Amino acid sequence: MSARLTAAERMARLLGVIPWVVARDGALIDEMTARFDYPRDQLLADLTEVLFFVGVHPYTPDTLIEVDIADEVVHIRYADWFSQPLRLSAEEAARLLIAGRSVLALTPEGESGSGAATAGEPADDGAGPLLRALAKLGLVLGDEAGASVEVSLGYAPRATLQTLRRAVEDRRRVEIEYYSYHRDRLTARAVDPALVFSDHGHWYLSGWCHRAGAERVFRVDRIRRVTPTETRVEVDLSRREAPTPAPDPDDPVVTIRLTEAAAWAAEQYPVLERRDLDGGGVEVRMVASETWLARLLMRLGPEAEVVERDPAIPPDLVASTAARILERYRSGP
Amino acid sequence: MDKLERLLNLTAELLNTARPITAGEIHRRMAAAYPAALDSFRRSFERDKADLRSIGVPLRSSPTPGTDPPVEGYHIRRGEYAGRDPGLAPDELAALHLASNLVRLEGGVGSAFTKLGGPFAAPAGGDDPDGAGSGGAGDPAPVGALPFDEPLAALVEGAARRRVAAFVYNGEARTVEPGRLSFSRGHWYLSGWDRDREAERVFRVDRMTGPVTLGGPTAHARPPAGDIGPLLGWELGDAEPVEARVSVDADQAAWASHVTGADGEPQPDGSVVLTLKVRNPDAFRSLVLSFLDRAEVLAPEELRGAVIDWLEAMANREQGRR
Repeated sequence: MSARLTAAERMARLLGVIPWVVARDGALIDEMTARFDYPRDQLLADLTEVLFFVGVHPYTPDTLIEVDIADEVVHIRYADWFSQPLRLSAEEAARLLIAGRSVLALTPEGESGSGAATAGEPADDGAGPLLRALAKLGLVLGDEAGASVEVSLGYAPRATLQTLRRAVEDRRRVEIEYYSYHRDRLTARAVDPALVFSDHGHWYLSGWCHRAGAERVFRVDRIRRVTPTETRVEVDLSRREAPTPAPDPDDPVVTIRLTEAAAWAAEQYPVLERRDLDGGGVEVRMVASETWLARLLMRLGPEAEVVERDPAIPPDLVASTAARILERYRSGP
Repeated sequence: MDKLERLLNLTAELLNTARPITAGEIHRRMAAAYPAALDSFRRSFERDKADLRSIGVPLRSSPTPGTDPPVEGYHIRRGEYAGRDPGLAPDELAALHLASNLVRLEGGVGSAFTKLGGPFAAPAGGDDPDGAGSGGAGDPAPVGALPFDEPLAALVEGAARRRVAAFVYNGEARTVEPGRLSFSRGHWYLSGWDRDREAERVFRVDRMTGPVTLGGPTAHARPPAGDIGPLLGWELGDAEPVEARVSVDADQAAWASHVTGADGEPQPDGSVVLTLKVRNPDAFRSLVLSFLDRAEVLAPEELRGAVIDWLEAMANREQGRR
């Protein structure tokens, strides 16, 4: 399944395999292969043609590791240097903790109050395995690891999320009223839902939009109303990977020059192309509806300049938008 | 000789030695593994050191005892190589593995699971009451993706061990007692006690520059847990907080309440007046202008005036160019 492993990748696996086999006093080859994602042929070769010759100066037999394979069972002896697994780094522990806290936030376990997976406390038998695992990670990261991280995957209304998740599960079409931020318009759509997922702090629904006649990604917090229907989904988009939320490909394309102070916009929004400029600025080509672009330019002010625009975008967009807003201020609060 | 064999032998040698040993000594002891020519040996050895460090082997270099002038020597301390085993039960390991599949972190989880003994719990009788299934083909579709900003590892450690963190923010050196890392609306935030400003502050982690260094123990209590909601740009600043009132039209009212987390006072015409605590006037202006002509700053006068000045500059900038 995987491409050829590098020596470092094989090394990282072996340093996990050895203590695991030693601790069990023997293990099945197939289980080692599955557990450590170690292709069987590679594993066998590394055990018999490599590990067998590992030791320390002067490499006399008494200094070498002993590997013994019989009836699919592997024994490893005299591997004292490698008898314990490598220490989990603070970063690895932090990453596991963050993934775990994120998932806890999705479950009733995590939603009931603090959801405190306070590390260091004795693991409660009643707690789920994830909560117990996070508590134990505190041994690596520090006693208060659990309390030090909180994650919100998005702020969409819970009822909307539940309705959508159920529709995905039951494979039922939904009707939604959707506020398009890009277009600044409210539309009614029938959608065959494929997946509900969170990306960078917002919940999204992906699915087949019958209005667009294409696959679309919707931000759940912009769905004003969702109505489940009895209609079975027609288009099968079920998948393992979440699609990347992207602007409507039919929208115009513009090139914007951003100063260093506004360069964050190039990270925040999907760009087609980017070119770094001297002095920390950046030039980006991006898909932008007129309303969305107007919002961005109003916010960035002198820090942004449109250098190339699609004919669909009015040339005086900045001035006319600014004038329109000013009109409201001039008529007084 | 297989490179893997050389890496393993080198690691065994460096774990086995009680004192740092020089590159020359390593060359002599591992003569069969390395090229005889000194400069080829040096190149191979440098690559091997980099490979070992890349997989997390804590290779140390320090002056070799008894050398003068001092010669750099290498060793691996057993106490640093192996950590305290968190002792995860198979179901706990499986739950953690499932979690890291459901919520994908930018950059993955490294070789964490290899170190923990492999995530792939053998299917035990098929019963799986926790839904924490085995890995492989049955991996569930992910429900989320999160960024992982570089300073996070150090900040999480600082918060967990209650140690002071030093970093550069907006070009200024800051010393902060890290309280909590919160992910909200697409960004990581650090909240904690700012020692220089003697007050609670919130920082955007992706705006920190340079490394985060951890120092001595902290003195202040962790800020209360819970609501990550109000981590909003206009509240993150050093200015004295000002109460601002913003009117938003009916058709944008629900959206505005959602974005700001403020309920606001509904008006007879369907519009809503939001009251916001502003510590960062630039971020506040940015928020208000994202509603274009459907929102208006009512008070205070200086924030309203700042928005008007900003808009006038833009209207004039464009006219001047034509």
